[in-house]
Amino acid sequence: MTSTAPIRLSIEGVTKSFGATQAIRGVSLNINAGEVHALIGENGAGKSTLMKVLSGALQPDSGTLFVDGETYSPRGPSDARRRGVAMIYQELNLAPHLTVEQNLSLGREQSQFGFVLRDAMRPQIYDVLRRLGIADLEPDTLVGSLSQGAKQLIEIARALLDGAKVLIMDEPTSSLSRSDSLRLFEITKALAREGCAVVYISHFMDELREVAESYTVLRDGATVGSGLMKDVTDNELVTLMAGRPVERASSHLAENRGEELLCVSDLSGERFPQGASLVLHRGEILGIVGLVGAGRTELLRTVFGLERIRAGTVRVGAHGFRSSDGVDSRWKLGIGMVSEDRKGEGLMLDLPISNNLVLSRVDSVAVNGWISRSALVEKTMKWIQSLDIRASSVDAPVGSLSGGNQQKVALARLLHHDVDVLLLDEPTRGIDVRSKATIWNLIRDLAASGKAILVVGSHLPEMLAGCDALMVMQRGRLGEKKAASAWTEHSLLVEATAGSGDIHA
Amino acid sequence: MPENRLVSTLRSLGPLVGLLLVLVLFGSLEPEKFLAFQNIRTVLTQTVIVGLGAIGMTFVVVSGGIDLSVGSSIALSTIVVARVLRDGGSPWLAAVCGVLSGACVGILNGALITRLKIAPFIVTLGTLQIVRGIAKYVAGEQKIDAPASWLADLMTKSPSPAWLIVSPGVWALVVLGVFFGAVLKKSVIGTYAFAIGSNESTAVLCGLPVSSIKIRLYALSGLLTGLAGLMQFSRLTVGDPTAATGLELNIIAAVVIGGASLSGGVGSITSSLVGALVMAFLANGCNLVGVPNYAQEILVGGIIVIVVAMDRSRRMT
Amino acid sequence: MTMCRFATATVAAFILILTGCGKDASEGRRVIAVIPKGTTHEFWKSIHAGALQAAAESGVEIAWKGPPKEDDRDEQIKVVEDSVTRRVSAIVLAPLDETALAASVAEAAKDGVPTVVIDSDLKGASHSSFVATDNEKGGMMGAERLGSILGGKGRVLLLRYQVGSASTEKRERGFLAGIAKYEGIRVVSDNQYAGATAEMAYAKAEDLLQKFPDIDGIFCPNESATFGMLRALTSVGRNGKVKFVGFDSSTKLAEGLRNGDIHGLVLQNPFRMGYLGVKTAIDVLDKKPVPARIDTGVMIATQENMNTPVITELLSPKLPPTVR
Repeated sequence: MTSTAPIRLSIEGVTKSFGATQAIRGVSLNINAGEVHALIGENGAGKSTLMKVLSGALQPDSGTLFVDGETYSPRGPSDARRRGVAMIYQELNLAPHLTVEQNLSLGREQSQFGFVLRDAMRPQIYDVLRRLGIADLEPDTLVGSLSQGAKQLIEIARALLDGAKVLIMDEPTSSLSRSDSLRLFEITKALAREGCAVVYISHFMDELREVAESYTVLRDGATVGSGLMKDVTDNELVTLMAGRPVERASSHLAENRGEELLCVSDLSGERFPQGASLVLHRGEILGIVGLVGAGRTELLRTVFGLERIRAGTVRVGAHGFRSSDGVDSRWKLGIGMVSEDRKGEGLMLDLPISNNLVLSRVDSVAVNGWISRSALVEKTMKWIQSLDIRASSVDAPVGSLSGGNQQKVALARLLHHDVDVLLLDEPTRGIDVRSKATIWNLIRDLAASGKAILVVGSHLPEMLAGCDALMVMQRGRLGEKKAASAWTEHSLLVEATAGSGDIHA
Repeated sequence: MPENRLVSTLRSLGPLVGLLLVLVLFGSLEPEKFLAFQNIRTVLTQTVIVGLGAIGMTFVVVSGGIDLSVGSSIALSTIVVARVLRDGGSPWLAAVCGVLSGACVGILNGALITRLKIAPFIVTLGTLQIVRGIAKYVAGEQKIDAPASWLADLMTKSPSPAWLIVSPGVWALVVLGVFFGAVLKKSVIGTYAFAIGSNESTAVLCGLPVSSIKIRLYALSGLLTGLAGLMQFSRLTVGDPTAATGLELNIIAAVVIGGASLSGGVGSITSSLVGALVMAFLANGCNLVGVPNYAQEILVGGIIVIVVAMDRSRRMT
Repeated sequence: MTMCRFATATVAAFILILTGCGKDASEGRRVIAVIPKGTTHEFWKSIHAGALQAAAESGVEIAWKGPPKEDDRDEQIKVVEDSVTRRVSAIVLAPLDETALAASVAEAAKDGVPTVVIDSDLKGASHSSFVATDNEKGGMMGAERLGSILGGKGRVLLLRYQVGSASTEKRERGFLAGIAKYEGIRVVSDNQYAGATAEMAYAKAEDLLQKFPDIDGIFCPNESATFGMLRALTSVGRNGKVKFVGFDSSTKLAEGLRNGDIHGLVLQNPFRMGYLGVKTAIDVLDKKPVPARIDTGVMIATQENMNTPVITELLSPKLPPTVR
């Protein structure tokens, strides 16, 4: 259907090096007007570098770019936007204290005598919001009060106001709920129908199938395959990305239930959860799924003492926590948590792996208040080796590692602390396919060694494959616990969305 | 990665290179005066007050905080020392009281910041005024003359016994610098300071008692500020409620020239002390060469901006 | 890259400034460091002018350097120390504090650098001479002027200058002693301090006028306090109505005197102070005997006598030829 459409964006033999490393090597691709093109590759394959070249943030060493047949060599992101190429970032660049309208008109205010003419932009703004199917959104709403999905749409609206012809979307659904994601797919396809060319980056195969028609796979900075999505299987794509076939996480369902480790009953927090109860056994992997905003993260945080217990109890073995008990009491009794927000909460990006690893139990490497360097290095090396963390040294700042390796450091902290109960909030978010598999393998090994694991996750196939049992959270309430084999993606979605016809969060 | 180590070595050497530049510059302009032993000894003594303050400030800045009250706190210490001496206390008692008064201000800062959950900048902007006011009240709104004691010898340029070579204050700075340098880098509390400054949420997640650590850090900083106040008294030989006005900015500048980041998580005691030396040699060199005050102020301000800008660009590459 | 170039250019510019400053330190001649309490008041500029004239007459060089932060004792100690390591021949110092500066002056003497103290006295016996106004007499003259124009009765206030400044404290003491002779005059406030700058004095004066709206007479012991009070009086429209005697002079204060907003200014002779300070230092270096106390004299300027040549010269003090 697109073969007759004009070529909107063309990349020819683009190369970019950083010092001795060649990040991209002679990549070429063409995208037609009206086409959604999937850009696939593991983390570090060169996707981000290519996108930075496209959006003007980096200058290529060689190669040429064309937009609508004209040479395109942006001097910076704003120049790129003027030429109609807009990047929608993973981390949104919106001002939360300003209204939707102010955010949309930022940088293009029409003014007279230094005063902003508020109404001048209104017709354009309404038009764009209508195109995105959110005409009912009040322009006076503060952006900070919107859901993640709505914010993403505002970001796209901003690009459209600039007259974007080429949209680059980098993992746009990574923090969206399922329904927000579905809406985004529709909008993406609609924008393509209007003539936009969309470059779509994602780790989720199902998502790519839904939205993209064609694909390019990058590995080690070079194109290793391209074609139409309908002509390729998921397994073939994963093989192209990884360079070797990856075994799919098998759905092992050993019913090796040990003693009860964590018992939560009728737990309520400030807003969420509401009367949640669950029991976690030694050797068990229990998954909690649900829409974004259903209260899954709040459940973990309340259990862990990061948020106040309003009612109900959390017990480990015979010990029950009081509402005044803090996080330290959880660690002491062998509960650890991995945060969903690696950058903001989970890790100290500027500090070495070693410091990140031992932070919850610094006394394990200290004598009389002084850190023993040799003990620190030894412990760190041990976990770097046993978890296969790819790092230049124990002193490398965690921020210099890839997402998957960062997540391993976050997990290693719990292992170093030797906890029995692991609370994992979105442990595989934003990391590449192979790292995901490694993390899941690790989780299963831990369960097999007798740990109890509570996982919050959004990607249903992953959760179905990885967990022993699943519970669905819906508006702060936990549903029935069933073995993973008793659920399907469909039945999970049905329960998660039950009674919530409302798409706006 | 060897590059990585190289970068971090360069970063720690940055302030040292700055110090060398200052030494070479003024050394070539006024060689026999600037590099004279007597002058070096004088400058080292002049560095002691800012240096002690900078040690404490580095702990606070590394943990992501700031303390604007140190100038006032130094004034309060001089007053406390002078009053204890005037009212017949022994020099030892006076010294201990002076140092403790600084620690009290630190604890007050830490308690306000953690209990009221107000940004350190705001809290210490408040205590800057409060402590200055307390100092004036304790002093009865005038400077306090104290009877002569050995405390005045702490900062003398020609120490006795002569084998000390430099004043006892300089030795105190060196010893405390080495000790607290190790504390920041190698102790548990130092590790906690870096953790809180780098990402406070992670510290909370890992179950650290963040509030009590912060109070301890501010108390430690206050203790060193109190010691700086004792040295200030030794230099002035009177208790002066208006002493050290604006000195907090010199101390913060020393820490920043030393490469610490005001957003926390980065900093080292040695670098901060080198930063203090840069400031002191710069001022001294300007005085020797005869640079007018306005040019000196422009020079110091310019250097702060350049050093921080260069540090940033080094970090980005 | 651009960062580096910018930094290099800036460093180069600084070096140029520095070398330019260093060049005029000529060899062989005596250098006398003159260290004021600050550098921005006109009073100090007159002292500078006097010092320069004495230097020109005697063939010595003046190194003029005040504390970078005005009214900061520690900064002034540093300037004294640095002058000694700079190996100046002698120091002429207006100490910010009678006690705090004593140790460094003693050390300077030990290193063979004599000090002549000007303007405010210093404790100890390490300095060679004290060249200054008789401040107590000055304060007393101010009190006599205020007492006589008030006709010997009324409510007056004294706005003090700053804690620890010996010269102004003496003026304040002299004023209070002088005003006590008038039985009909009551001092309603004498415990407020104007502070270091004219801006601080202005704010303090406004508050005082708010508190004592019906005050009859005011005395201020230095230029910045007098100027701040003048501004405050003008802003509430009480200028000329309140009898106002100040201390020292500046263009604005002379104008106030001419307009009748100020009824008397006690004038010192800062030019003479700078001049005699340097001359005395030279005498010390030449091993001539110098008196321990040299009075530079005070006079009172009024609207009536302000056009006489003597007063005119004191009212518009000479400034140094090149204010760099």
